[in-house]
Amino acid sequence: MTTFLETTVDKFTFHVDPTCFFNSEGVWVRTEGNRARLGLSDFLQQRSGDIAFVEVKPEGTLLAFGDEFSTIETIKVDIALSSPVSGKVVRVNPTLETAPEAINQDPFGEGWLCEVELSDWVTDQPRLLDAAAYFEKMKLEAEEEVKRE
Amino acid sequence: MSETRRKVVIVPCSGIGKSYGTVSRVAAYQVTEEDRPDQTQLIPLALLVMGDEESRKIVAESQAITIDGCKLACATQMVQHSGGQVARDFSVLEVFRRYRDFKPQGIAELNEGGEKLADALAKEIDAVVDELSFHEEGAREEGDTHA
Repeated sequence: MTTFLETTVDKFTFHVDPTCFFNSEGVWVRTEGNRARLGLSDFLQQRSGDIAFVEVKPEGTLLAFGDEFSTIETIKVDIALSSPVSGKVVRVNPTLETAPEAINQDPFGEGWLCEVELSDWVTDQPRLLDAAAYFEKMKLEAEEEVKRE
Repeated sequence: MSETRRKVVIVPCSGIGKSYGTVSRVAAYQVTEEDRPDQTQLIPLALLVMGDEESRKIVAESQAITIDGCKLACATQMVQHSGGQVARDFSVLEVFRRYRDFKPQGIAELNEGGEKLADALAKEIDAVVDELSFHEEGAREEGDTHA
């Protein structure tokens, strides 16, 4: 069982999966062989609010690092998400069609967005934050956000 | 002997400062004040939270429709905590998923999307109120027949 990194800021508790890498906006990537699963970090989903609609680029879509691969609509915001990897979308999470709330309920698990067949992980990986680095960045952002409110 | 018809209780979210909370209250006002004033009664969630005896008694003796603005589902939980029976719980998020074009924004005053969403929600509640009233009417008539 994965032990998450955890921090509490004000009344909010955020988790980070130590097996993932992250881009700066909070999209996670977890690799297994030549495939990777992508999703929203716990911090990003909590900051965005309850997800009403999610759209993910269809299977077969070719992605370059940084390409928009998904859009999320919540009561608060509409967000376009950038791909943290290059490759081809090979699977979109079917759960999200009927239960987009899975992203809020289990962002690192059942709420994953899609699977990508990696085309250049060697180049992409150094451009991402590892879990420890993302954890520190997230804490700072969360503290800033609390101060602003 | 006259029998007083029991009204369906409507308990909306009390979320202040959230668009979904405002949508729930606007819809509740529409149902209780305009659409179905004779069949429904609004009970503010705050009264249940504060333990107001009269409100708790009404809730405990009536069928309730709750409208929750977020997943905390305070309205539904407070009705259950007060001994009431939730005949139907509405989630504003779920209703929004059915009416994607009506994106609510604004808090003190809703935008056009929010007003339309509240109206759509109110109409769904109206339908449930009619159904509950129909069943209650039927049950009462059956009771009269056996009397």
